Amino acid sequence: MNAFIAFIMGPMVWIAFLIFILGLIFKLVVIIKDVNARESYVYSYLSVKYSLRSIFAWLIPFFPQSTRQSPVFYAISYIFHLLLFIVPVFLMSHIVLVNEAFQLSWFALDDTLADILTVIVVLALVFFAVRRQTVPEVKYLTSFNDYVLLIIVALPFITGFLAYHQFFFYRQMVIAHVISGELVLILIPFSKFSHMVMAPLTRAYMGSEFGNVRHAKDW
Amino acid sequence: MEESKSFDWSTDLKEVPVREWKDRFVWVEEPYVSQDGETIASIVNVEEAVFTVCENGKTWDSEYEKAWCLRPIPDGQFAACVSSDEEWTVSISGNEWENRFDFIWNFQMNHDGTHISLAVQKDSEYGMVVNDDPWDRMYENINEMVLSDTGNSAAVVQVSSMAAADIEAFKQGVFSCAVNGKAIEKNFLNIWDISFDTSGENVAYGVRTDRTSYSIAVNDSPWDTSFQSVWKPLFLPGDTSVIAPVKTGGKWMLYKDNQPFWKTPYNQLWKLAISPETGKIAAIVSNDFGKWTVAENDVSWDLSIDQMIFDIVYSADGSTLVAVFKDKECWTLAVNQKKWDLAADKVFDPCVSPDGSIVCVVIEKKGQYFLVVNNHIIPTGFDFMTTPVISPDSTKILQKAVKNGVYQRQILSLDKIL
Amino acid sequence: MPKETTTEDVPIVKQKNTDEAVEAGLARLTPERIKTTINQVLENETGPKFKAYVETCMHCGLCAEACLYFLSNDRDPSYSPAGKVKQTIWEMLEKKGDVSTDFLRRAVHIAHTECNVCKRCSMYCPFGIDIAYLMLMVRRICHKLEITPLYIQDTVNSHSATMNQMWVKEDEWIDTLQWQEEDAREEFENLRIPLDKVGADIMYSVIAPEPKFQAGLIYQAATIMHAAGIDWTMPSSPGWDNSNMAMFTGDNEISGRIARAFYETAARLKVKRIVMGECGHAFRSIYDVGNRWVGWAMPPFEVVHAIEFYHQLLTSGRITIADKYKKTVTLHDPCNVSRGRGLHDMAREVTNMVCDSFIEMTPNREHNYCCGAGGGVINCGPPYKGERMINNRVKAEQLKATGAEVLIAPCHNCHSGLEDIVHHYDLNMEVKFLGDIIFETMEKKIFNPGD
Ligand code: HEM
Ligand code: HEM
Ligand code: SF4
Ligand code: SF4
Ligand code: SF4
Repeated sequence: MNAFIAFIMGPMVWIAFLIFILGLIFKLVVIIKDVNARESYVYSYLSVKYSLRSIFAWLIPFFPQSTRQSPVFYAISYIFHLLLFIVPVFLMSHIVLVNEAFQLSWFALDDTLADILTVIVVLALVFFAVRRQTVPEVKYLTSFNDYVLLIIVALPFITGFLAYHQFFFYRQMVIAHVISGELVLILIPFSKFSHMVMAPLTRAYMGSEFGNVRHAKDW
Repeated sequence: MEESKSFDWSTDLKEVPVREWKDRFVWVEEPYVSQDGETIASIVNVEEAVFTVCENGKTWDSEYEKAWCLRPIPDGQFAACVSSDEEWTVSISGNEWENRFDFIWNFQMNHDGTHISLAVQKDSEYGMVVNDDPWDRMYENINEMVLSDTGNSAAVVQVSSMAAADIEAFKQGVFSCAVNGKAIEKNFLNIWDISFDTSGENVAYGVRTDRTSYSIAVNDSPWDTSFQSVWKPLFLPGDTSVIAPVKTGGKWMLYKDNQPFWKTPYNQLWKLAISPETGKIAAIVSNDFGKWTVAENDVSWDLSIDQMIFDIVYSADGSTLVAVFKDKECWTLAVNQKKWDLAADKVFDPCVSPDGSIVCVVIEKKGQYFLVVNNHIIPTGFDFMTTPVISPDSTKILQKAVKNGVYQRQILSLDKIL
Repeated sequence: MPKETTTEDVPIVKQKNTDEAVEAGLARLTPERIKTTINQVLENETGPKFKAYVETCMHCGLCAEACLYFLSNDRDPSYSPAGKVKQTIWEMLEKKGDVSTDFLRRAVHIAHTECNVCKRCSMYCPFGIDIAYLMLMVRRICHKLEITPLYIQDTVNSHSATMNQMWVKEDEWIDTLQWQEEDAREEFENLRIPLDKVGADIMYSVIAPEPKFQAGLIYQAATIMHAAGIDWTMPSSPGWDNSNMAMFTGDNEISGRIARAFYETAARLKVKRIVMGECGHAFRSIYDVGNRWVGWAMPPFEVVHAIEFYHQLLTSGRITIADKYKKTVTLHDPCNVSRGRGLHDMAREVTNMVCDSFIEMTPNREHNYCCGAGGGVINCGPPYKGERMINNRVKAEQLKATGAEVLIAPCHNCHSGLEDIVHHYDLNMEVKFLGDIIFETMEKKIFNPGD
């Protein structure tokens, strides 16, 4: 059991990060190769200028018409995605671990604040789930997998929170947390979470088609 | 091209004033110049619904209610589609053909001008007429008319009726290729791009055999293989072998007699040119999406064109291949892979000497016409210019141009301009 | 555990129309043919783009807000853009092509008559997923299975045989031009429609319904060209029709052939630019779609839509307006030239140059709602007309809110589609082309650069 824990807390963390990073790179390489082989025409239309124009336009909160039409959802999604990165990266407990391993450290969130932000992330995920149940056009598109995705993202936040507060089963909770954290990292390149790299690509293409060919905005 | 030996190659300049035509007639249409350059002609309107043709200031003896499609034909003559009393015919310098039709169009002429063909409609039936000799059989519709060099005519005709929006009938195939009016007994969903062989006896054409299958047919038999698409086939000169661009496996290939011929699969491959002298085959091709070049015997030119290659022509001896294309918003030429320095708004049909040593072409830039010879622009601009002629010994060029209301037939000596 | 909804669970709420071509086609299908055709298209004819669109969609439903079908049908999710993908592509993928003819009946209906491939939803999806592309892929499958709706298939057949959309015979075309030329001479002495004038600056091109039903539009265009002193021509040969229904049925082979014939005609006539009449989908066909299949990344000739051309004529003073149009007007932005080419601001400027009082309809510009006729929907013909009216209630509401007397629609399809809507919803508006109003208000004199 201890060996298992040591593995989970040690090499597996490495492995998870490697899979996460290499997986995303692999994904990109496959797409580029695939585009070169089958859809090289895409390059005739891709334009750096219009790709960035579209990506930036879509990063500005409430700038695209679509975001103004569903403001609550977008606000929550926006906060969710930001915190998804901010909380783990600037979390004191995480920085401590990195520091122990690499003697690196950086700005850390106040623990209470981090705690609150974690709750916000979980609430956002609850909101997404409720929305999938209640909004007909979303419900229509929702399948079981979509809830699984929400649960998978929620797990590290929930377990991290529980571990931090040491409510119960502290040790097991930490283990569960680390496993679920690793799971998320590993899954990102190989699940719908890969939209993390796909989003800029699809946006760039549509942005280029609109900017370059159609001389129109796409937001 | 008519024998240019008999042309006057010694008089440097002959002029015909054309501006005053504007005062003589209500309006004067686009000018056409005879092949020997001696005559300039336009359709002119004399008064309401009265048209004739003015040749070097002299009008034809006949007048018509309508006239269009003026074309120069050999011996310094002109032909036009004319109509009186709602009947159409061809008038050759004022002398009409005997046959009358409800409509005529698609004027074609073989290389030496001995055969002239048109598509005709009479009593809502369609066919062709060659040298005033109409087809015996007429059809419900006609498209894709062609005239062989030997005077045979062919077209796609509709051989059975089809009610409005009758897609089931269409699916059975209602089109056939008719040669000299006789429909080949083989119907297809579609037929395009008929080609005659040198003898004018055989035809090859692209066909669609069902919604998604395309092939090439020679006379009445399609190739066994079906393709994703096809473009215009050609007979090899003096041969009954047929080559055609076909799309298979998502790529364009050149096939010969139903077998792969060139090895390279292309993104696009069309407009074949064959040199009868050397047997070389050229095509307009695209290797990368949006980039065009010319392939000669399956070897691509070292030239990448970003817009359009419109045409390729061989010199008679096959030594020179000229491409007309638009690159970076400008029209220009390339001769044997070498791109000319032109940046023209328009490039007209090039003229290549039989030995390939002289290539000349008319271009238009900022509204002015110029003659370009071997990549050398002759700086005098004109208001209008038509295709020049190179002398049989390749030493002179017959330039046909209009400037300040005067038509000028000029003989340019190549040693002076190059 | 929430249950996955599949199309089987969705009761057939409304009995959807089909037509004889769809039914006859379905009757001919075998399970093998369905399966191999679907897999052939999805495996061989798609690539990373398709994969990205399917994989990346987060099922968030944000695209729904964009779609006129969804909005007009009381937010029925089956009309949402991603909802249409779910009912077609997702299921084809999930079942690996093993789908029933009932499924296909519904798929043809969705792809052909419940989506205008207007791409509005691509502006509402945060990923920019191209639902229209996916719907066109479904149409491609239907084309290969030969279950394309009757009337639009007939137009494709016509294109393939005559290179025009309406079985216009070659002599009819020329005769119509000559007849319009003669008629226009009554108004404008010496006016010409120059045929096959090699080296003219402009080739003017139209869609087949003009010679077939609305020859007066050619008359108007000729008048405008003549008054503006333009060096122009029209081809007497096939290649004059810039429309392209094949691109809307997924018959890419015919679509490419049409585009090639068109551009080679312009090249043969050695023109500098191509000007086209007021048509949106025709613009899309020559500017964005047909050209790509043959390998022209962008059109080899400058293509000027009528809106832009009028703008040039009016701002350069080649056409002057005698007396501005008095009635209140509103403007429908045709998707294919606004979202498709960014001409919406020019359209407003032209409208303001020729009309006294212009009222905006909202949403507008890139965000306009499609007329509901576009993308080949109206071309599916009478069997679907009733639905088409219901499916674009939002357009009717939007039009009504303007209170304008005249609705300007600078697109043929929009024009016909909107006329149907105006009629069906009793909106009491006159639908006009920009050219109609310019023709009505312009000074009928010939431009003289010295003036
Ligand atoms: C992969 C390796 C990971 C390791 C080794 C790790 C380790 C830890 C540790 C040791 C804690 C502190 C528990 C305590 O205070 O006793 C923690 C808390 C936390 N972790 Fe991780 N973690 C990992 C991944 C992740 C990921 C991927 C996420 C989010 C996506 C995440 C989110 C959190 C959160 C939100 C908290 C605590 C929240 C709070 O303070 O309420 N962790 N983590
Ligand atoms: C920086 C990269 C990312 C971008 C640009 C991005 C963008 C998006 C967008 C546009 C959506 C769709 C609708 C919306 O919520 O706005 C979305 C949904 C979602 N994203 Fe991301 N995302 C990114 C990274 C991630 C990561 C790393 C995860 C999880 C590990 C994630 C989890 C989710 C989830 C669960 C949803 C679905 C929400 C729902 O159920 O409605 N995202 N994302
Ligand atoms: S393309 Fe237009 S009609 Fe089709 S789903 Fe999207 S918004 Fe609706
Ligand atoms: S908005 Fe985009 S990601 Fe969301 S459901 Fe629609 S297509 Fe999918
Ligand atoms: S018909 Fe008009 S509004 Fe409708 S799709 Fe075409 S351009 Fe758009």
